[in-house]
Amino acid sequence: MAQRTIAVTLKIPDNAALTALAALRRLGVDVSRLERADVWKFDDEGFTPVEERFEQNETLFNPNKHELQVLDANGPRDGEVWIEMLDAADVPLRMTGASHARRFTSWRLFRKGKDPAGASHVRDAAEKLLCNPAIERAIFRE
Amino acid sequence: MAARVAVLVFPGTNSEEETVRICRDVGLDAQSVHWSQAKTLPQYDAYVLPGGFAYEDRIRAGAIPAHDPMMDYVIEAAENGKLVLGVCNGAQILLEAGLVPGTGAVRRPTAAFTKNAQQHFICKHVTLKLAMDPSRCAITAALDRDELIPAWAAHGEGRLAATAEHLQEIVDGGHLAFTYEGEAPNGSALNCAGLVNKRGNVLAIMPHPERDAWNFNHPDRREGSNVLQPSGGATLFRSLAKALA
Repeated sequence: MAQRTIAVTLKIPDNAALTALAALRRLGVDVSRLERADVWKFDDEGFTPVEERFEQNETLFNPNKHELQVLDANGPRDGEVWIEMLDAADVPLRMTGASHARRFTSWRLFRKGKDPAGASHVRDAAEKLLCNPAIERAIFRE
Repeated sequence: MAARVAVLVFPGTNSEEETVRICRDVGLDAQSVHWSQAKTLPQYDAYVLPGGFAYEDRIRAGAIPAHDPMMDYVIEAAENGKLVLGVCNGAQILLEAGLVPGTGAVRRPTAAFTKNAQQHFICKHVTLKLAMDPSRCAITAALDRDELIPAWAAHGEGRLAATAEHLQEIVDGGHLAFTYEGEAPNGSALNCAGLVNKRGNVLAIMPHPERDAWNFNHPDRREGSNVLQPSGGATLFRSLAKALA
């Protein structure tokens, strides 16, 4: 069974990320740029790669505004936190035909230019704003 | 002199007009207060956070507005005992701000009104039942114990969710204010439609009583009846007005 991790980002300006960036700065988190992505981890048995099926699914992917990237990493990268709903339904299973999938919202914080934010800043951002622990789990880089 | 009530307007709020109208109908001096007028908030006696999609529900419903400068004033006012009512998106904001159930620190939420079990928006007429003694909350104190309040559930994220430990705290601490009559339309834990804080001055309810406050928006109205007659949803606002009298 193949495991695949894909990230779907916006080609167009990400207003949610801009709003979150402004809110984090107001909360005193030292961050100069914020990237958001939908990350999907699939266990897949299909004949065609899951990313191809994903790109062909008009409900999940709009080529006019989305970009899809297959990630080498199996977990959050430097400066990144993944937020997962604790009781999310496996909606993508029906849509992609994968046998198992998990969905995360990725937030990647940068301090200057392309320098990812340090682990303490990422944890600070998750605790103050990006994660509600009553309903979500924050997954940090190990 | 009528009590002054601020109806908060965040970017994306959409229920302020009917909320101001019903507050005025029950004798309150209600004003919409725009997010750019936050500094005027201390002069008000009570605060109503109406429904809508503040900040477009970015990150999570209520997450961004809970950190808006307007909420600095509301949190301070709540801590000083002023009355705060949140409806729908307003309720989501109060949970994200940690004011209700209030079992954790401010702005450290211990529960959320999150995605409905059916994973989509619902619009359904519902009836709210008090799940506590009316005197437990100043805003409900003038209601009868068996009062039924008609309202419209109109939300995509109205299901109470929390860890088992925090749900138990909600029950043990008497924070469950309203339940749905019959089954919750959204899969809400504890059949919850509304929560109250420990002190009893902050109330968060998901369905909209202000959208069933006049006969014209009650689904069972009789043809020919006076469409401007108050309907059952006005009861909660009358109780709020009595608390502020």
